[in-house]
Amino acid sequence: MATRNRTLIFRKYRDALKSVRVPTSSSPSTSSVGGVGGGGGPVIELASTSLLHPNRKYAPISTEDPGNSSKGAFTVGLPPAWVDVSEEIAANVQRARMKMVELAKAHAKALMPSFGDGKEDQRTIEGLTQEITGLLRKSEKQLKRLAAAGPSEDSNVRKNVQRSLATDLQNLSMELRKKQSTYLKRLRQQKEGQDGDDLEMNLNGGRSIIDDDNLDDMVFNEHQMAKLKKSEAFTVEREREIQQVVESVNELAQIMKDLSVLVIDQGTIVDRIDYNIQNVATTVEEGLKQLQKAERTQKRGGMVMCATVLVIMCAVMLILLILKTILF
Amino acid sequence: MVLVSAARDYINRLLQDISGMKVLILDSQTVSIVSVVYSQTELLQKEVFLVELVDSISKSKEPMSHLKAVYFLRPTLENIQHLRRQLANPRFGESHLFFSNILKDTQIHILADSDEQEVVQQVQEYYGDFVAIDPYHFTLNIPSNHMYMLPAVVDPPGLQHFCDRVVDGIAAVFLALKRRPVIRYQRTSDIAKRVAQETSKLMYQQESGLFDFRRTEISPLLLIVDRRDDPVTPLLNQWTYQAMVHELIGIHDNKVDLSSIGKLPKDQQEVVLSSEQDAFFKANMYENFGDIGMNIKKMVDDFQQVAKSNQNIQTIEDMAKFVDNYPEYRKMHGNVSKHVTLVTEMSKIVEEQRLMLVSEMEQDLACNSGQVAAFEAVTNLLNNENVSDIDCLRLVMLYALHYEKESPVHLMQLFNKLASRSPKYKPGLVQFLLKQAGVNKRTGDLYGDRDLLNIARNMARGLKGVENVYIQHQPLLFQTMESIIKGRLRDVDYPFVGNHFQQGRPQDVVIFIVGGATYEESRSVALQNASISGIRFILGGSTVLNSKRFLKDLEEAQRIAKASTNVV
Repeated sequence: MATRNRTLIFRKYRDALKSVRVPTSSSPSTSSVGGVGGGGGPVIELASTSLLHPNRKYAPISTEDPGNSSKGAFTVGLPPAWVDVSEEIAANVQRARMKMVELAKAHAKALMPSFGDGKEDQRTIEGLTQEITGLLRKSEKQLKRLAAAGPSEDSNVRKNVQRSLATDLQNLSMELRKKQSTYLKRLRQQKEGQDGDDLEMNLNGGRSIIDDDNLDDMVFNEHQMAKLKKSEAFTVEREREIQQVVESVNELAQIMKDLSVLVIDQGTIVDRIDYNIQNVATTVEEGLKQLQKAERTQKRGGMVMCATVLVIMCAVMLILLILKTILF
Repeated sequence: MVLVSAARDYINRLLQDISGMKVLILDSQTVSIVSVVYSQTELLQKEVFLVELVDSISKSKEPMSHLKAVYFLRPTLENIQHLRRQLANPRFGESHLFFSNILKDTQIHILADSDEQEVVQQVQEYYGDFVAIDPYHFTLNIPSNHMYMLPAVVDPPGLQHFCDRVVDGIAAVFLALKRRPVIRYQRTSDIAKRVAQETSKLMYQQESGLFDFRRTEISPLLLIVDRRDDPVTPLLNQWTYQAMVHELIGIHDNKVDLSSIGKLPKDQQEVVLSSEQDAFFKANMYENFGDIGMNIKKMVDDFQQVAKSNQNIQTIEDMAKFVDNYPEYRKMHGNVSKHVTLVTEMSKIVEEQRLMLVSEMEQDLACNSGQVAAFEAVTNLLNNENVSDIDCLRLVMLYALHYEKESPVHLMQLFNKLASRSPKYKPGLVQFLLKQAGVNKRTGDLYGDRDLLNIARNMARGLKGVENVYIQHQPLLFQTMESIIKGRLRDVDYPFVGNHFQQGRPQDVVIFIVGGATYEESRSVALQNASISGIRFILGGSTVLNSKRFLKDLEEAQRIAKASTNVV
């Protein structure tokens, strides 16, 4: 695939034309301008240049309030506040991803046959799963904050950032759920392999088998009692585990439902760039029309009318009062 | 994959080296170029959070210096002017300029002059100046397509503009493929000759350094032909999926706009038909209507199975599985609705306009001989009230093209009948077509009655009978491709430009049809590429034609020609 780089020629022309133009008054600014232009834009600039060239690019040394950057032509360009939110969400997503890797390792370890009773592993797995779900929940709430009101270019950027983060979050949630379900399945298989009788009893809720036992054997001997207690404890334990997993499944399902509104379906018309540009154009126009209409209604609106009427009435009453005192 | 992957590679490279939040600024042509190969989600993954048009962006005043601007524009005069204004008052942090074709030095000069704030970080030429609608089919979406039918004296600057765009597009394709071709053109067409010569000048003289790729294999072949050599293909009704949708409804940049067709739910008013993104479409785009119906029925049945199993949720596991599979289910649902809607609408149109009857006649006129029988059949159809005016016009045109020289009396009678039938379509249009693309102007053997071999082939086919009457027509392009494969493309008909010559068979052939290609021809090319012949064909056109567009071009050209003769 052929390409051609014209940057050198461009820079040559630019420098040549710059020297032809009238130079600016202070020399340190020109030299720093030259340095910045040629070097590809280091981020830190002299304070004097930012004062002389108020429309310059990103300069973190600024006394401007960060929230103001979207208004006014003379603000130095700091990114607006929502960029921080989006960066936070991105950082959370990254952290969640790392924790998922850890979780995968913990799952693998727990599934391996071991000498201990595996409670440690269970606890780490639980802890990790909760952490990840918590991170995802938090990110999702923050994502809602990114939405902006009113049509403007900035709101389009925000919407797109929202969409991209929503896709990431959704993918993570699905991955987590898949991991959990595979873990559960493997766990069940393992347990099945270890103690088949107990599992059967657990699956049937335990009681019916005990009834059968009753029918067969009126007297429980100690061995059977012990077995019974063990299987009951086991059942309770398993129920708790399943309950937990169900809870996390539900939570994640909720997250996914909320996110699916934001995520674009691939391959549909909404995924086309030209469709989105057309829509932006129409929404911005619509927004402008709405704003104009609102302005007109407000001008024409009740408040102004009422106020004028009241003022006129007051004036009339005042005049009547004066007349009354004069005449009488 | 060739063209689509080349375009995607360019856009990937454009975006990958620039970090941080970006805004992508395009012009009206590059929007098409980018939209057919890149999706919005992929842009979001590359951190492009805003896409704007270069002419509308100057109206807004908000500075957004936390975004980096990536411009991807064609190097035209208007774009350079827009850029000048934007560089003088930059709204974004940095600017990276990418042009889809070769920049002139003066243009670079102008840009450098206006970049006082030094926001431009790089200026590059990435040669993605063509719309890659299918892997082996590209178009240039030229609006003033009718120019090719007019003689040069009528509108010299307009024609020059047309030729420049065509040359730029072809050059970009070869730069993307990194090859320099040997050029041949159709002898009887002035515009083909002009385009061929200007392309050759560009590749071998003006920018010979850029095109010199030092490849040792056999050079590819660029063949430039004129639409008027095969005026029959765009006039015919189509019965294979992609071609049929374009003929009856219209596909533009792989999008179908159904809003004018009927009352449809909001999410089905505009749909995407892209072979890259839709597996069902990719499998069925060249199938005929009957087979498509069966395949869609199978798809709907499969979908109903899945839907039924989704409704049967009893345990927690089922619930979990449902939530897992929901995105796929939704996508499948959308896809099924889309195809069902398209086929339903097309069936409706076929019913209303009696297209099966009309199309059988058209195919007969295009493929079989028998002047008297044809005349009678056409007269009958012209008498039929249910046949629409535009179909009558097409039938008369097809008859005229085939039996131009036989029995002028019959031809006159048909003209009169057409004139009395519809005041809108004057027979003058048919005569204009004959003047442009009549038997004297054509190089190729459209009806298979010049060459002895072709006559024999026709007779054999007549004896054997055809599988499907409605798709028996083969475009002339098919014969041209066969000749190239056999190495028998006649020098007399398709001479080389200048002193080019080709030793042996080329392995890559780009055929460019000045005046527009059709989806029937692109199907022909795709099927040819699927068969193992050792040669890879790529088709290009100045636009994608259907019968409406072709007739519009004819009318426009006729109007201008008449106006200019009045002036003169």
